[in-house]
Amino acid sequence: MKLRLSPQTLLVLDAFLDRTEDWKYGYDLSRVTGLKSGTLYPILMRMAERKLLETKWEQAEPGKPPRHMYRFTPEGLRFARATVMAHMSGGLDQVALGLVPQGLVKI
Amino acid sequence: MGAPRTLAATLLRAAVRLVPDVSREWATAMLRELDFIEGDWAALFWALGSTTAILRHAAVVWRTWLFQNGNQEAGMNNTGKKALGVGLGILSALALVGCLFAGLRIVSILFPGLGLEHSGWAYWLAVMAIPEAIFVVATVLLWRKKGPVAAGILATGLAMALHIGVHFAMR
Repeated sequence: MKLRLSPQTLLVLDAFLDRTEDWKYGYDLSRVTGLKSGTLYPILMRMAERKLLETKWEQAEPGKPPRHMYRFTPEGLRFARATVMAHMSGGLDQVALGLVPQGLVKI
Repeated sequence: MGAPRTLAATLLRAAVRLVPDVSREWATAMLRELDFIEGDWAALFWALGSTTAILRHAAVVWRTWLFQNGNQEAGMNNTGKKALGVGLGILSALALVGCLFAGLRIVSILFPGLGLEHSGWAYWLAVMAIPEAIFVVATVLLWRKKGPVAAGILATGLAMALHIGVHFAMR
């Protein structure tokens, strides 16, 4: 399977690795990563489609409509940790070689 | 609420209505985030990026649906596939012209000082020159791998050029 881990995807993974139990909002992720919505959301969509992210709707503030929130699934957390570690050690080959679950590598 | 924010909300609401169910949840998510963005221009840029992202997502769904349905219905012979390709090319070309025209309208509304509303060259550039240039490049790039789509784009480009030619000949 083709591996495509863009720098933007790594930024998003990194943002989610900060306090992994917390749910995160799209706009907050955009501010933290510096990514525009047109770049951020396709990454979030692909991650959700691959079951790396779980999503839910929640009323964030009274009187305002619910917001869409995101956080890692256990599988996503494992993948992100392995990917970011591999990237930090300059060893993205580990991911390509299959040390990270194969179904997760195409983001 | 300023004009850019109103435009942003309108754009995303239209996207929510337009896109297939699979993409609608994401489009709604992007729309809801608008309420939390400070600054009207930031909201507009958010909406523009979001709309692009959601339309690209929806395009994948539409394309899958189109080709799956076509295959199921008639065993999808070669001619049918080619006709679909040509149709897709024509639709893409028309969508491009529509987007450029809408973009020009948006700019002329947001920046009335530019005087684009009454500028013939701006419309000539946006609706004819730029699309025709893109059609030529797209046709050349797609000709070998996606011939029918390239043919659809080319046909649209030729029809537009003919239309303009007739228009000028009649004046």
